[in-house]
Amino acid sequence: MTDDERLAALFRAAATDTAAPPPRFDHDDVVAASRRITARRRSAMAGGALTVLAVLGIGAVVAIPGSSRDDATSTAAAPFAASGQAGPGDAAAPDGAAPELAAPVPPAGGADVPQALRGVPPFTGTPLGPGTAECADRQDPALRAFVEQVLPEVVGAPEAATTMECRPAGERGVNVEVRDGDAAGLLTVQYLPPGVIVSLVSGAVSAPTASGGTVVIYSRPAETGAPVPFAGRVDTAAAFLAPRL
Amino acid sequence: VDEAGEREFTEYFRVRRDAVRRTAFLLCGDWHRADDHAQAAFVALHRHWRRIRDHAALDAWMRRTLVRAVVDESRRPWRRERSTAEPADGTSVPSASDAVATRHVLVDGLRSVPPRQRAVLVLRFLEGLDIAGTAAALGCTEGTVKSQTAHGLATLRMVLGDSLDDLRPAG
Repeated sequence: MTDDERLAALFRAAATDTAAPPPRFDHDDVVAASRRITARRRSAMAGGALTVLAVLGIGAVVAIPGSSRDDATSTAAAPFAASGQAGPGDAAAPDGAAPELAAPVPPAGGADVPQALRGVPPFTGTPLGPGTAECADRQDPALRAFVEQVLPEVVGAPEAATTMECRPAGERGVNVEVRDGDAAGLLTVQYLPPGVIVSLVSGAVSAPTASGGTVVIYSRPAETGAPVPFAGRVDTAAAFLAPRL
Repeated sequence: VDEAGEREFTEYFRVRRDAVRRTAFLLCGDWHRADDHAQAAFVALHRHWRRIRDHAALDAWMRRTLVRAVVDESRRPWRRERSTAEPADGTSVPSASDAVATRHVLVDGLRSVPPRQRAVLVLRFLEGLDIAGTAAALGCTEGTVKSQTAHGLATLRMVLGDSLDDLRPAG
């Protein structure tokens, strides 16, 4: 008998536990859980689509050009739309200098904000806050939408396998298999509700959020020693997400 | 999932549930967590049933989902399993005089092997996958599987000492 055969026999013996407890789930449990998740995801996607439409609607109202300086002020609050475009107030700017109001709005936090987020307007919406599902959503669409804004590589990234363990309802999570240039791996973003104290593993980053919770981001390579996806951008992502969660 | 798909899934679940539970148990060393992981894998399978075109590869899909879920769980950013090369509290390992002892000794020893190495060992020696199949299930290279196998067995031997003679290399 070869080494491999002896080991295989040993593992099979270990796995054949006659004292194993009976299964705690049956076929009906599986199908019910599957349908519950599917229904919840559809509902969340519908909600997310409505939110996007609402945001687009507000953005359109804000960006409508007018003839008064007040309008220019409004446009300056949406630099993505206004950048590089001459607004109605620009013609009055002396010597073609960029109008002061077109300058990026400094985000809240000032010097503490990572360089990559300078120019991003401060988030003024309602923070996402704790989840409301019966069990925490390990692939939370609303959280993922924010993650995709700060890490565009996440758009279209496949969901990573996660357990169905019922995590506390207030949590939200996103677990995706990502590729960032030559680096591939797993990105985990987790929102933890207020009062949850955690100790982080090496490489994980956390930040207190606007709703009083904590956002934890952890990016790890597919293989030990390989390049880490989003290396150097995780802090930026945490700073971006903190006021939104 | 349509009616025919539901029937196929039901049959697959009936045939494979116990095997998937056993694999999950060796991967995580705890029956309750094994049930959680196994159920999660079956739920994921049910949700993806229509999209899995090659039903001959269902076992491979389940294996991959299960292993990744267990490894993922062990790497949760704020609760990582601690790997140790020594038995907890320095207690001696029970001798492997019968099948029950063998099972307990090996399961206890596997708990001390880092999750990814443990997954490699379980896939190779319980599931019977070759190096290429294990690499495919884990999404890594064959070289990684070889090195993880060697490291995993070395850790297991170090933890178990002489408790299991079968872990000694032949010759």
